[in-house]
Amino acid sequence: MNRTSAMNAVFRVEVRKLVRSPVGVIASVALVGGTLVLLGGITAALASGNPDLVAKLGPAATRDWAGLLSSAAQVTAAGGLLGCGVVLAWLFGREFADGTITGLFALPVSRGRIALGKLAVYAVWVVGLSLLLTLGLLGLGALLGYGGPTGGAWAALGRQLLLGVLTGAVATPIAWVATVTRSLLAGVGCAIGLVVVSQVAVLAGAGAWLPLAGPALWAMSHGTEVTAWQLALVPAFAVAFTVLACSSWTRLRLNR
Amino acid sequence: MLTFEQVSLSFGEGIGVAELDLAVAEGEIVALVGLNGAGKTTLMRLAVGMLRPDSGTVRVLGHALRELPSARWCGVGALVEVPLAYPELTVRENLRIACLLRGSDPRCVERALDDWRLGPVADRRFRRLSLGNRQRTGLASVLQHDPQLIVLDEPSNALDPSSVLVLRDQLTKRAAEGAAVVVSSHHLDEVARIADRIVLLNAGRLIGELDPTGRDLERTFFDRIHDDDTSRAAECEQTS
Repeated sequence: MNRTSAMNAVFRVEVRKLVRSPVGVIASVALVGGTLVLLGGITAALASGNPDLVAKLGPAATRDWAGLLSSAAQVTAAGGLLGCGVVLAWLFGREFADGTITGLFALPVSRGRIALGKLAVYAVWVVGLSLLLTLGLLGLGALLGYGGPTGGAWAALGRQLLLGVLTGAVATPIAWVATVTRSLLAGVGCAIGLVVVSQVAVLAGAGAWLPLAGPALWAMSHGTEVTAWQLALVPAFAVAFTVLACSSWTRLRLNR
Repeated sequence: MLTFEQVSLSFGEGIGVAELDLAVAEGEIVALVGLNGAGKTTLMRLAVGMLRPDSGTVRVLGHALRELPSARWCGVGALVEVPLAYPELTVRENLRIACLLRGSDPRCVERALDDWRLGPVADRRFRRLSLGNRQRTGLASVLQHDPQLIVLDEPSNALDPSSVLVLRDQLTKRAAEGAAVVVSSHHLDEVARIADRIVLLNAGRLIGELDPTGRDLERTFFDRIHDDDTSRAAECEQTS
């Protein structure tokens, strides 16, 4: 069994597990369907002229493409990180919770490669979901009668697509935490912690330099408040935690 | 096929195993017996790399564990504690993923379903199976690729008498084809039927062997354990 066939095997196994699990299905439906329903609800509330909601939404309180996509970025930044985090915590933590980690020893596929396979499946899932959500937003805008997207709306849709992918990328520490603690719940706790840290960082004005908050700030400011260098920290952050997670799986011993 | 050379491992709360020397040859079935906490599962975990010894060397298929090429693990079938079976997948799917991860011939899945009489539940999700069927699925998944080295911790747990017969047939068949087999068990009578050697483990140490053809194995077993406990207690008194 060479490296390519080993990776191929792990990828196929992890895809099957994710597709067949309630966690994968519910998270996918919640992140795409839930976001669209929420945005539809916000638009309906705006149409009623609720002044409190208008004040809370700020620049997103307009019934057009700009308002819709600004709200979508806000929902994706917080809800997306939490949803992606839960799936990632499950992908890694479930092996410890279900006890199946013992069956992942004595295999011709190394555990480091199994961890990499899990992250590869997660990456594909995140990209697919982000694409679906972006297409869903296009459909929702059309349904709400906003007409065809203008140049600015297309750019915002592009940022929304990238925001979804980058939000998935900044969740990678959860894989490492679930592995080191050998706990699914610790992974979920980490996901909540990441959301809190990103919100606090934005309030403190340090969001642009923090990979956890940078993508959301970038999408919501139409790309003006975060530089390309600051945004480039996100993939570096994800790669660093991917290496940490895979290395932890490679060195894993079941002595506790 | 599997050797332990002066292997020791201690845990924070006490000793795990101490100065283990054990060799399991091709075509041999070795049964490990001991009371709860004697170190049987620790020994099994050491054999498949779940634990790393503090000292000594574990060799699998002729290689020290640290130097064993990943690909050689396809010749090993191990079931220690929980089987590699996911609740959301069916029995057939679980056997397929075990097959995929070992790079073995996918046709072995249908054969395993047949051998282990899992046909009627093949398309049932693992979470909906009885304990006995779960254990049979786990055993099928680690034996379907005809491994050269088999490591099974309490394999007859939860099995009904007919499944125990299947297990016995499978292990003797694999051993006849040259596989080395290590099983741990509480059931002396059961292991005596298939084992070439019965190795006694007490308080983390190998304390000798029992003759599988001997009479009144249980009494002999308890006498040996009692003698070992008594001599250790005497040693402790002397040293203190």
